[in-house]
Amino acid sequence: MSELNALWPGGASAVPAVPAAARPGTLEGKRIGFLWDAMFRGDEIFPLLETELKARFPGTTFVGYDAFGSTFGRDEHAVLAALPERLAELGVDAVVSGIGA
Amino acid sequence: MRASAAVEKANVPSVSLVCDGFIGQGAAVAKGLGLPELPIARIPGHVDGQSASELASGLREVTLPGVIEHLTRMPGGTTNEPERSPGDIVITGDFDTVNDYFDQHRWSDGLPIVPPSPERVAAFLAQTTDPPERIIGALPPSGCAATVHNVAVNGVMANCRPEYMPVLIAIAEVLADPHYGVEHSGDTTGGDALIVVSGPAVSALGFNCEEGALRDGYRANTSIGRFLRLMLRNVALSLPGDADKSTFGHTFRVVLAEHVAAAASLGWPTLAADRGFGSDESVVTIARFTSGGTIGSIYGDDPERIATYLADGLVRHTSWELIFTVGFAPGTYCPMLVISPLVARTLARAGWNKATLRERLFAHARLPAEKLERYLGEWTNFLPGQPPLTQLVAEGTAAAVFAEGESPHRLVPIVARPEDLLIVISGDPNRSNAYALASNGMHGYPTSRKVRFAAESSR
Repeated sequence: MSELNALWPGGASAVPAVPAAARPGTLEGKRIGFLWDAMFRGDEIFPLLETELKARFPGTTFVGYDAFGSTFGRDEHAVLAALPERLAELGVDAVVSGIGA
Repeated sequence: MRASAAVEKANVPSVSLVCDGFIGQGAAVAKGLGLPELPIARIPGHVDGQSASELASGLREVTLPGVIEHLTRMPGGTTNEPERSPGDIVITGDFDTVNDYFDQHRWSDGLPIVPPSPERVAAFLAQTTDPPERIIGALPPSGCAATVHNVAVNGVMANCRPEYMPVLIAIAEVLADPHYGVEHSGDTTGGDALIVVSGPAVSALGFNCEEGALRDGYRANTSIGRFLRLMLRNVALSLPGDADKSTFGHTFRVVLAEHVAAAASLGWPTLAADRGFGSDESVVTIARFTSGGTIGSIYGDDPERIATYLADGLVRHTSWELIFTVGFAPGTYCPMLVISPLVARTLARAGWNKATLRERLFAHARLPAEKLERYLGEWTNFLPGQPPLTQLVAEGTAAAVFAEGESPHRLVPIVARPEDLLIVISGDPNRSNAYALASNGMHGYPTSRKVRFAAESSR
């Protein structure tokens, strides 16, 4: 059979890589925001995490997911676009986002 | 993951909660967002099948430590894999060697591919005045660029003919349109895209729009349908087990070609015309559908009775998809009804036009409110807390028509508006069957592009 040259069918990355945000050494005294995609029992998961984190880091405060809107669905793009300003406005230091399933 | 990426880019640390089985998808999506190190805190198992105590136990023992670690410690670096370039020859060999190599690298769909040689690709590129390096768009979840060149490569692989190239470019343009929602192509419910071709291209390129309209066997319909799935695999990197988490999935769909002549003879607009295109324009319209089935042996000439039967078919094929009618993506459910030219002729002889059919389908395609609420509450937990439709209407996540009364037995429509019903004429012109397709809503929202043949393409 004859020899064939085959070209690559893929595409080059078009989204430049960026570094992750700096982490605080501790969550004590930090304000943690929750982001929820309104699915997969986040209404049970986030309250439990808040209770457990509070027990370990008594000075930590929380901003619930209702403050941001659902991160999935009709309003996803608008909610995500508004996040930088909203996080700054609410003084959020770290975010727990879910639920992927 | 998309939310976490937005948070990190705002210089705030994040951690994503992800269930077992979806960690690989999370990693694949993170890379395409420009944040390959995006940390994940694992939730053991899948939450849908766990008791409250099982869930709590897993969260305390596994998830919580992950949350604390990832919010207080920088994520580990990832190794940069060397990237290939467009135009790279990846393998030289005979037909079997090339196919084996493409299989090993997951660039094939399990069927033999036509080896994309430079000569074959050049023949495709000659069918458009778009430069090969033109970036059509970055395709999530990979974030990799669909270009005119890799459209040609995947078109060759799919056994398309070179003259299909303008259609292939239009398809890639739809995939790159944020309106379509290609990032959802790997959702667990596993629907697949359907390309509808309208206009002069149907006859010019040899599409089948009669017997077997949804069956493989016609080169244009079959190869172009295959091409779309190859683009999802090779450029969007939506691969089973990685970014593609379909539990079962669906094989690629052949292209559905509108029976343009039948529509014209009845004075009915085509789907493309419904969407604002002229009859002299060739158009591709793409949407994702989850399931479908035949509405068989449509009998008689009473249009109202026919519409009632057609509506019943639409309702039978609609269930959890109602989350795209009300709830988190309201008004995005767009089911499709394909009717044979014979059915359309029967309705037209009774004085109906397409708008009449659409209006009567909206009136008849209904189910009890309590059943819709069960689909989205009790059976799927798509709406935690199981809110009634009246509450959704009050909150603005359901149209007013869903709260016309309070009886749980009241009938409510499957779509928010009549115009959400897509109607296409195609299939055997001498048989009275129809086909209903349940839409995947915003996860593949109907999006159209004009096909630009070489004389019309612009740089």
